[in-house]
Amino acid sequence: MISRILTIAKNTFRETLRDRILLAALAVVIFIIGFSLFIGSISLEQDTRMIIDFGVTAIYLLQMFVAIFIGSMLIYKEVERKTFYLLIPKPIRREEIILGKCLGLTATTFAVTLLSSIALFAILLMKGSSDSILPILLSVTMSTVEAVILILLSILLSGLTSPILSAVYTIAFFLIGHSSEILRSLIMSASSVVSRVMLEITYYLLPNLEKFNIRNEIVYGTIPNIKALAFALCYGIFYSALLFFLARLMFKHKEF
Amino acid sequence: MGEIVINKLSKSYGEQYAVRDLSLTVIKGSVFGFLGPNGAGKTTTIKMLVGLAQPSEGTVIIAGGSPIQLSIREKIGFMPESPAFYLYLTGREFLEFIASIFGITDPEKKISELLSEVGISDAGDRQIRTYSKGMLQRLGLAQALINDPEILFLDEPLDGLDPLGRAEIKRIIFTLKSQGKTIFFNSHILSDVAEICDQVGIIDKGVLIVSGTPEELARGYRDLEDAFVHIIKTARANTPTS
Repeated sequence: MISRILTIAKNTFRETLRDRILLAALAVVIFIIGFSLFIGSISLEQDTRMIIDFGVTAIYLLQMFVAIFIGSMLIYKEVERKTFYLLIPKPIRREEIILGKCLGLTATTFAVTLLSSIALFAILLMKGSSDSILPILLSVTMSTVEAVILILLSILLSGLTSPILSAVYTIAFFLIGHSSEILRSLIMSASSVVSRVMLEITYYLLPNLEKFNIRNEIVYGTIPNIKALAFALCYGIFYSALLFFLARLMFKHKEF
Repeated sequence: MGEIVINKLSKSYGEQYAVRDLSLTVIKGSVFGFLGPNGAGKTTTIKMLVGLAQPSEGTVIIAGGSPIQLSIREKIGFMPESPAFYLYLTGREFLEFIASIFGITDPEKKISELLSEVGISDAGDRQIRTYSKGMLQRLGLAQALINDPEILFLDEPLDGLDPLGRAEIKRIIFTLKSQGKTIFFNSHILSDVAEICDQVGIIDKGVLIVSGTPEELARGYRDLEDAFVHIIKTARANTPTS
């Protein structure tokens, strides 16, 4: 079972890494990280902060691009182009395919994160700022967990609808997921019980992606709360397991 | 002994039946040709036989088990109609990927043999996106043979091939037949079917009209193609329009 999952993961990793769109996106992000050197040089003695800010945001956007856009295409392409016709009749379970696909795309996210992080670290080391490397590593790790949630969400949605709609819905989840505080304040100010209950259900049902956002803290040199990070990690694992369960259910009953 | 046993198999989408009450048995080591006009239900049937679609009613027994069981799938090879691949992989990488799903260790020799057998050994290290339609058909057949299957399901395997390619694929099918493989074969190229198959079934509008040897079906007609046209026309004339 494990070997079959790893086979799908390896194949997904290889296929997505050879995708020219991904390579173009990676090139753009590495260019932006390089460009942060110039932005830093015109700032008022805030060059390291500007480089970290630019670099970490660029890496984050790349991760979200992989999760949302490549994730949305992943299952849809298999169904639409009928590559699943070659895979499903083989001795492999459908949930193994889903898990393998998710692991493969997570590995792709990890690889592009690693490459762009190396570019950022090289620039920071050039500027003599090595003490920010560990906080940056923490930040990209947390955003990788966020990317895994969005990958599973994209896989789930792309099995139900077209890649464009799947990407639109995942972006909607992404935006709502980063607006949990607004939702929280709406709950506080809700006058009727019905709207309050509805908002609370929405609040607890949708992912709270702000839990994985420590970019501001590391830019301003604040050490993130380890307890909060551990909680966010557990939350990420729980939410990913829930999405995997739903994706498995969707895929189990899918006809080709 | 029946290697493929189909009993009262139906597939419906709402009120519409794609396949209705299909029953037939394919004997071990024989080649069965499943014929029918476009939209007759051939591909839907083959999809149910390999587990791509769930039957609405009826059962399918392959090699004594259900096609859903992994142990049964290990014995099956399937080539879909116009197979699609991961375009950024090479032909060799794709076959390695499929071999890995079957848990085949050291598949290099087998892959080289298969690439050579289907006539694309020169293109094995090229990305699949550069392949012609005929080469994709050949790679589709190679992936169906990677596990040395006992039972093969081929959906229009000769489609898109030039006469030379068709002759090569037919030669491979004859070789597989001589090795005792059971082959279930969808096609609408009737001259090839008459040449290759031991048994033939004709389906129209989801219903199996007739089955028998190609000789039996063609008796009294010019050839199998002539028989096919008459059988379909007669069946349609006798079917009350609803």
